[in-house]
Amino acid sequence: MHPETPSAMTKADFLTGIALVAFSTMVAVESWRMPRFENTNVNPYSVPGIVPGLLAIIIMILGGVLIVRSISRGGHRLGWTARSVTSTLAAPENKRLFFAVFLTVGYGGGLIGSIPYWLATFLFVFAFVLIFDWQAGMARARMFRLGAVAFAVASVTSGLVTWVFTEAFLVTLP
Amino acid sequence: MLQNFTSLVDAIAGFASFEALFHVTWATVLGIVIGSLPGLTATMGVALMTTLTYKLPHDLAILVLICMYVGAIYGGSRTAILLNIPGTPASAATTLDGFPLARAGQAGRAMGIATSGSVLGSIIGMIFLAILAPELADYALQFQSYEFFWLAIFGVVISGHLTAMDDPIKGWIAGFLGLMVAMVGREAIHSYDRFSYEIVELTGGFNLIPAMVGAFGFAEVLSVMRSRAAKMVGKSSDSIIPKVGEVLKHWRTILRSGVIGTTIGIIPGVGEDIGAWVSYAAARRASKNKEEYGKGSIEGLMAAETGNSAAVPGALIPVLTLGIPGSAPAAVLLAAMLIHGIIPGPMIMFESPGFIQEVVAMVLFASLAILIFGLSLTRVLLFLLAVPREKLMPIVFVLCAVGSYAITNRLFDIWVMMGFGLAGYVLREMKYPMAPLVLGIILGKILDDNLRRSLVLTDGELLPLFTRPICAVIWIVTLATILMSIESIREPIMGVVRRFMPGRRSN
Repeated sequence: MHPETPSAMTKADFLTGIALVAFSTMVAVESWRMPRFENTNVNPYSVPGIVPGLLAIIIMILGGVLIVRSISRGGHRLGWTARSVTSTLAAPENKRLFFAVFLTVGYGGGLIGSIPYWLATFLFVFAFVLIFDWQAGMARARMFRLGAVAFAVASVTSGLVTWVFTEAFLVTLP
Repeated sequence: MLQNFTSLVDAIAGFASFEALFHVTWATVLGIVIGSLPGLTATMGVALMTTLTYKLPHDLAILVLICMYVGAIYGGSRTAILLNIPGTPASAATTLDGFPLARAGQAGRAMGIATSGSVLGSIIGMIFLAILAPELADYALQFQSYEFFWLAIFGVVISGHLTAMDDPIKGWIAGFLGLMVAMVGREAIHSYDRFSYEIVELTGGFNLIPAMVGAFGFAEVLSVMRSRAAKMVGKSSDSIIPKVGEVLKHWRTILRSGVIGTTIGIIPGVGEDIGAWVSYAAARRASKNKEEYGKGSIEGLMAAETGNSAAVPGALIPVLTLGIPGSAPAAVLLAAMLIHGIIPGPMIMFESPGFIQEVVAMVLFASLAILIFGLSLTRVLLFLLAVPREKLMPIVFVLCAVGSYAITNRLFDIWVMMGFGLAGYVLREMKYPMAPLVLGIILGKILDDNLRRSLVLTDGELLPLFTRPICAVIWIVTLATILMSIESIREPIMGVVRRFMPGRRSN
C-alpha cells in the first residue's frame, strides 16, 4: 500500500493512471451532456461544458502518459499475493494509520451531529489518547495514569473548544 | 510614490495600538509554535486561524493571519535545527546545516542565525512588496480575459513543475485536478449547476477553507500518526543572541537570498520551500567555503532561512495585484481576504486604497515580532516540542473539524474537509505536491470565466489568445517549461548550450 520503493511507486503510478483516465472519461462524458442552450441562441463558446471538457482531456492525456511510463518500467506487473497484501496491511505503521482514519472519520462523520458536540469531542480525544498510548502488558498503575491523562486532555479540549466557539465566536455547535 | 510612502506611514501608525499589538503578539507566538511542531504547517495554521478570526474586523483578521504565516515559516527552523525534521516544508534546507551545528553544541548560535536570517529575509521581501505591488497592480490593469486565462495555465504548470522537480507530470496532474475541483458548482455565465447532482450543498462549489484544512491539516494528522515519533537530539546550551558582526559578515548572502526568495515567492504556487532551496543552492555556488555546506555552514543556514522568509512577502505580491497566490499559505490568505470583503486583483488600488501599504505594515510588525519572540521564548518552545503527538493530533483534528464547520455552520463542510484530507494524504504519499492542487482550486474560476469570455469576444477565434504581447510571453514560457521537463527534448538543447558556453556545467 505504501509506495516507498521505486517499484512500489511505479505500480502506484500505473493504478493512478488508470484511475485518472477513468475519471477524466467520466468527466468528459458529463461535460458533453451538459446543456448547450441552443434554443436560447447563446454563444456556443460560452456553454458550461467547454472548460471541464478541456480539463478532462488534459487529465486523460496526463493519466495516459503515467500509464505508458509505468508500463515501460514494468509497473503493470502488480505481483500481488494474498500474503503480501496481508503483511502490508499488518505493518505497525499501517495499523496506526487505520486506527487514526477510523477514529477521525468516526468522529467527524458519525459522532458530530449525532450526539452533543462537547460529548462527541470528549469521547474522540479520550479514545484517541488511550488507543495510541496503550501498550500491551501495561502495569495497572500505568493504565490508571494513562486513563487519567486521557480524561484530562479530553475534558480540557472539549470544554475549551466548546466554550470558545459558542461564547466567543457565537457559533451554534451541532 | 510619495503617496504610497505616506499611506505606509499611516498604516504603521494605525497598527501601533494596544489592540493590534496584542494580536501581533499572540498570533506570531502561535505561528512560531505551529511552525515548530512537526506535522503542523504554515498553511494549516493560516487555514485554522481563518476560521477563528472571521468575526474580527478585516484589518485585524488579516494582521493575525500574516503574523501566523510569518511566524510559522520562521518557527519551522526550530525543529529543523533541534530535531533534524523540518517543522514546515519551508525549513527542509535549514536541516542541512542547522542540525550539524546543534549536534556540535551550537544550537543556540544556529537558532540566532536562523532568526536573523528570517527577520532580514522578511524585511527584504517587505521592501519589494512595498515597491513592486503598487507598480504591478497598475500594470495588471492592462490584463484582459486572454491574459488571465494564460496566467491560470501558467500558474498551474509552473507550480506543478517547481514543486515536483523530480517528476513534473505529478505536479501538473495535481494542478489540473485542482482546476477540475473548481468546476463543481454553479458557473458564472449561465448559472448552470455543474457536477452537483442535485446535492444542494454542492451548488456553491467546494468551500476553499475546509478543502485546505483537509488537504493540509487532516492529511498531516494522518502522516504524523503513521510515522514514528522523532527524538530531540540537539540541545540549546549556548547563547541564542546572534552577534551583529557574524550576521553582517554574510551581507552578500542575505541580499542574494532575499532577492531570490522574493522572486520565487512571486511565481504562482511555488512557495517558501523552493525559495529556501534555490537560495541555498545559489549561496553554495557563490561560496568560497563550499566544503562546509551540509556540515554546519553558517552561510548555508543564513541563505536557507533568508530565502524562505523572503518568499512570504514575495508570495503576497501576486495575491494582492493579480488575485493569484504565490504559495499555499498565501492561497488561504487570499480566501480569507475574500471572506472579509477584500477583492485582491488589479483593481485593489481603487477598491481598497491603502490596503497594500497596510499589508506591508503587517509584515513589518510580524518581522519585528519574530525577532523579539524568537530570541526570547527559546525555553518555552523547547518545552512545547516535547508534547507527544498522541495528545496533540486529536486536538488538531478537533480544530480542523470545528473550524471547517464554523464558517458556514454546515456539517457538509466537515465531510469536505475529511474528503480532501483523505485524498490529499493518498496523493502526498504518492509524491503529488499539494501546492499546485490548491492553486488549481483558486485558479479554476479565473480559468473558466476568462477562457469562455475570450472565446465569446473573438467568436471562437484562437489567434488573439496567442498573439497579444503579454499572452505570447506567458504561453511561450509555459510551453518552454513543459518542453524542458521532457528529457529527450532537454538534453539536445542543453548539448547546444554547452557547445556555445563551454564554461557552463549542467549542474
